[in-house]
Amino acid sequence: MRWVRKLHKWASVIVGIQFVLWLASGLYFNLMDHTKAAGLSYFNQDMVQHQLDATQLIEPKAVLEQHSDSMALDTVFLLAKPYYLLSHQQGLYAHSYHEYTLVDAYSGEVVTLDEALVTRLAQASYSGEGKVAELKLLTPPISDFPKQQNPTWQVSFADDINTEVYVEAQSGRIVGHSDEHKKLADIFFMLHFMDYNNQGSFNNVPMMLMAFFSLWLTITGCYWCIDLLRKGKYRHKRRPRIKTTAIKLP
Amino acid sequence: MHKTARTLHQWLMLFLGLQFAIWSVTGAYMVYMDIDFIHGDDLVITPQSKVQPAQMNYSLQQLIQAYPHIDKISVDTLLGETVYRLTLADGESPKKLVISANSGQVLTPLSESTAVSVAQYFYTGKGDVAEVTLITDNPPFELSPRHLPAWRVNFDDFGSPSLYVSAHTGILVGKRHEFWRWFDWMFRFHIMDYSSGEDIDNALLFWVALLASGGALTGMVLVYFRVFKGQFTRRKKSRVQRVGVA
Repeated sequence: MRWVRKLHKWASVIVGIQFVLWLASGLYFNLMDHTKAAGLSYFNQDMVQHQLDATQLIEPKAVLEQHSDSMALDTVFLLAKPYYLLSHQQGLYAHSYHEYTLVDAYSGEVVTLDEALVTRLAQASYSGEGKVAELKLLTPPISDFPKQQNPTWQVSFADDINTEVYVEAQSGRIVGHSDEHKKLADIFFMLHFMDYNNQGSFNNVPMMLMAFFSLWLTITGCYWCIDLLRKGKYRHKRRPRIKTTAIKLP
Repeated sequence: MHKTARTLHQWLMLFLGLQFAIWSVTGAYMVYMDIDFIHGDDLVITPQSKVQPAQMNYSLQQLIQAYPHIDKISVDTLLGETVYRLTLADGESPKKLVISANSGQVLTPLSESTAVSVAQYFYTGKGDVAEVTLITDNPPFELSPRHLPAWRVNFDDFGSPSLYVSAHTGILVGKRHEFWRWFDWMFRFHIMDYSSGEDIDNALLFWVALLASGGALTGMVLVYFRVFKGQFTRRKKSRVQRVGVA
């Protein structure tokens, strides 16, 4: 038992503060508003109605032949207008590294997203009252979306919670929204995952070390608890003197 | 203060100790297992097979004639063959189609043997196909109902991997193995959700975490008295007495 108590004491010295942080951030996750925490306070849910006039479409074969090799050609609708999105390099997920060409599906012209189009795309996904304050083209890593591996426009709106809309530069895909609510939630995620390098992951070395010591802390704690139970210590809580002598005996 | 903290800590942990153990064990599993591995990212290849425009003998005009209500069109490959994928506007069924870009032949819904070929095409492991099932309703918890109907192809391999191939599109819609399934259980126990696995805002978790915070804080008080304050009182008290208090 002496070693159990020693281990318990020193493990608690190491992980004590992190335990309090885990519980506090855990309680925050339990109580938080998930829409706000996801940065979706001013996310426009209404899908823009699109109508495809297939007869106006450019022949996909011709588009594919004009450009470098593609893994896929997709139709995407930006502001209700159809575009062909050619993927020259694909990843497993949307946030993985991609190489795209965006082509107007009715004219066949290559489209590069300029600031005007990016602004309108961001506005279309935004339901708040704020005006666009600033546009910035970011290259990864992007602190609000650490997994995103493609260049992304950050469109900042002047509103009460400083909403930022992220638009993927090559495809026009809305990566997501961020605002003060999301940034606050992200701080709690950082504390809970010990993700102090903002990798967007909990598989990091400090976390693994803390998990190791926590295991020792809880195992010794449970053992101690059972030991106290077996010795009937939970009955005589009012008489700590007697209890302490009893602990010394074994 | 010291004694109150100890009594509180003992009594709180009598009831919460098991949950602390569950949090530590489940948390450790999630931390030690690489999340990309859990997602099954190494179970499948990232297909880089190229669309062959030269094979596209079936033209857009022919497609429009055959399917006047096209809502969405895309071109990619299915088992290396260049195909059109169509989404048809409401009122027609089925809503999604895969069509050979060479012949115009409709390739979906996928037959069992094609589904197995697709799964094997993506699968990076060496195991043989163990079981193939078409799931049309009541999907297992590891497959989202929006992907139905889908073929489940189980492989006889480490971690019992299952790949899910959509019967309507031939697209790989799921990759799971035992480690993911365990991870899912671990997460449920971690957030004390014993129903759906989605609700982190359940009342049970709130009350247990609130009491647990009390348990942890009283523990910190004990750390202060026994480790940090103990440094200064050690000279005054004998070792036996100190153990006696502990």
